[in-house]
Amino acid sequence: MRLPSLLRRTPFRLTLLFLALFAAAASAILGYVYVASASEARGRAEAAVRSELHTLTGIYKERGIDALNRALVDRALSDSPFLYLLMDREGSVITGSLNASPVTDYAEGEQWITYPYTDTDAEGRVTRPQARGVQVRLASGEMLFVARSMGDTEAYLSRLTQALWAAMGIVLLLGLAGGLLVSRNIERSMARLNRVVTAVQDGDLKARAQIRNAGDEFDELGLGLNVMLDRLEASMASIRHAGDAIAHDLRSPLTRMRARLEVALIDAEAGRIDGVDALQVALDEADSLLKTFNTVLAIARLQAAAGAGRTPDPTLFDAADLAADMAELYEPASEDKGLEFSAEIERGLMVEANRPFLAQALANIIDNAIKYTPSGGAVMLRARRRSSGEIEFSVTDTGPGVPEGDRDRVIQRFVRLDNSRTEPGSGLGLSLVGAVMEAHGGRIQLDEGPGAYGGFGPGLRVALVLPPAANA
Amino acid sequence: MRILVVEDDADAATAMVRGLTEAGHEVTHAVDGAFGLLEAQKGGYDVYVVDRMMPRLDGIGMVETLRKDGDQTPVLFLSALGEVEDRVTGLKAGADDYLVKPYAFSELIARVEALSRRRETGSVATMLKVGDLEMNLIARTVHRAGQEIDLQPREFQLLEFLMRHAGQSVTRTMLLEKVWEYHFDPQTNVIDVHISRLRSKIDKGFDKAMLQTVRGAGYRLEA
Repeated sequence: MRLPSLLRRTPFRLTLLFLALFAAAASAILGYVYVASASEARGRAEAAVRSELHTLTGIYKERGIDALNRALVDRALSDSPFLYLLMDREGSVITGSLNASPVTDYAEGEQWITYPYTDTDAEGRVTRPQARGVQVRLASGEMLFVARSMGDTEAYLSRLTQALWAAMGIVLLLGLAGGLLVSRNIERSMARLNRVVTAVQDGDLKARAQIRNAGDEFDELGLGLNVMLDRLEASMASIRHAGDAIAHDLRSPLTRMRARLEVALIDAEAGRIDGVDALQVALDEADSLLKTFNTVLAIARLQAAAGAGRTPDPTLFDAADLAADMAELYEPASEDKGLEFSAEIERGLMVEANRPFLAQALANIIDNAIKYTPSGGAVMLRARRRSSGEIEFSVTDTGPGVPEGDRDRVIQRFVRLDNSRTEPGSGLGLSLVGAVMEAHGGRIQLDEGPGAYGGFGPGLRVALVLPPAANA
Repeated sequence: MRILVVEDDADAATAMVRGLTEAGHEVTHAVDGAFGLLEAQKGGYDVYVVDRMMPRLDGIGMVETLRKDGDQTPVLFLSALGEVEDRVTGLKAGADDYLVKPYAFSELIARVEALSRRRETGSVATMLKVGDLEMNLIARTVHRAGQEIDLQPREFQLLEFLMRHAGQSVTRTMLLEKVWEYHFDPQTNVIDVHISRLRSKIDKGFDKAMLQTVRGAGYRLEA
């Protein structure tokens, strides 16, 4: 990994930011320790100087200038930590360990000064440590200067500073190394996810993120990404499927329409039918084609909704009312055909569903039952709540039924069993019912009817099972 | 009847103007919502037929503006959008009826005529009378030539709708929508069976058959 590209990485940049913050904090602490220590060292030196000055002026007051001079000579010889200088009225040196007073502009009273003085250390090297001193004028006019070196404190402070700098350096290095490591780790996890995204961008909808089961946020993100891709793939597949199906489904009705129009044209030319009739044929064919088209679109829309796991435009309503309405709507048509129609509807069957689609589904299965049951038979509509809480609509007829092996097949598009071809219909009725159920998280179930009845049978029982409304 | 057709599709508009004129109406055509709004503001129309999706000002915008201006002329929306939510948005904007494209011409004419009638019968009537057929909306009774006719509740609603639109064609889809309040395709003509039951009750034994079948359209109740 090249450095410029590394600098653009978020984890590494965060590491650098953190290190910079740490360095700033360390500098602040160091500065504080330094300032505090220096000021304390100065205070201590000053107190010592003040006490020494007090002793010396005491000697001077009691025993005079000569005694003071002797005391100073003694002290200078005895390796005292203090520096002394006794000057005459004009500032010329009388006695002391200094060549001249560092106080160059002495006026009156106690005059304090911090200054660097020249010294030699144990190895004979020349050093210039700081000293703190005071100059006073004695009663007889001579001037006394007393100072004390702050060299110890200074050495301590410089060692402390060095240690702190070293510590900071180590921390920065370790931090940088840690940051790189973390950065690379995150980089790898991100790269795993990015590879999936890139693959999907390139059109591979099957790409999935590897999950390491570490339970970390990358696994979480990966899982989320995978679920999202599953959904996307399902809905893409459903759209592609719908597109194929529409293209396929419309070919046969279009072909049929074209053939009929051609026949109508030939008949009209031959004078067998007049133009108006031919146009009426064309209109009827166009209408039936549009109806087929709308149904195919509705199925596609419902399947797309089912793929996405939701119901289109759901409302909360009592399915018992819907079932009653359907019974009332279809009963006359059923009786007209010589069928005995009955309905058993439990009250209070709240569902959250798309009302027009559910009505259409019920209408389709009732319509089928009426269409395929011979006169003298019976059709029964039931709506009830199962013990599982699910809402079930069922239509039972005494028609010929559907052989067990064909039951899954009749729900597919355009499948019409041989013995039903004489009846009008597009072969989309049950497919639409299936799609409606799918989009509601429900299902369609085909079973055998009540058996032989009036010379026909075994009949068919079509059940639509819906989950109950969540808050009902 | 004066009808304003607001439709940007030239072919559809031509067909509509031809058809509505043929049916005996006076038709003006506006090519988009903005022109439609200007034309409508001139006043004097009985019904507006408005395409929902148009350039410049769409149908929703146009109808909302008209309603804001206090224009209560009935509006029929035409739209290729047929989902429930589209229908609801259209009706919320102030339309009185909603017809999904493609539609049969008979359906359009029936709905346009039904809308104009709706405005005329705005007042609350307690009695409906068509020829010798009388309906008491309070007592829920029906008499023809003084003879009481016993109707089921739904038959009563069906007849009420037909009487309110007497002399006009009403389609099967309109009946399913307005009487049963369902929007779906009932596959077989279940409505026809209800009509024939009603017909046997109100026409049987009388010289004149009031409930007519209109070929290619639906039904019409005539005095």
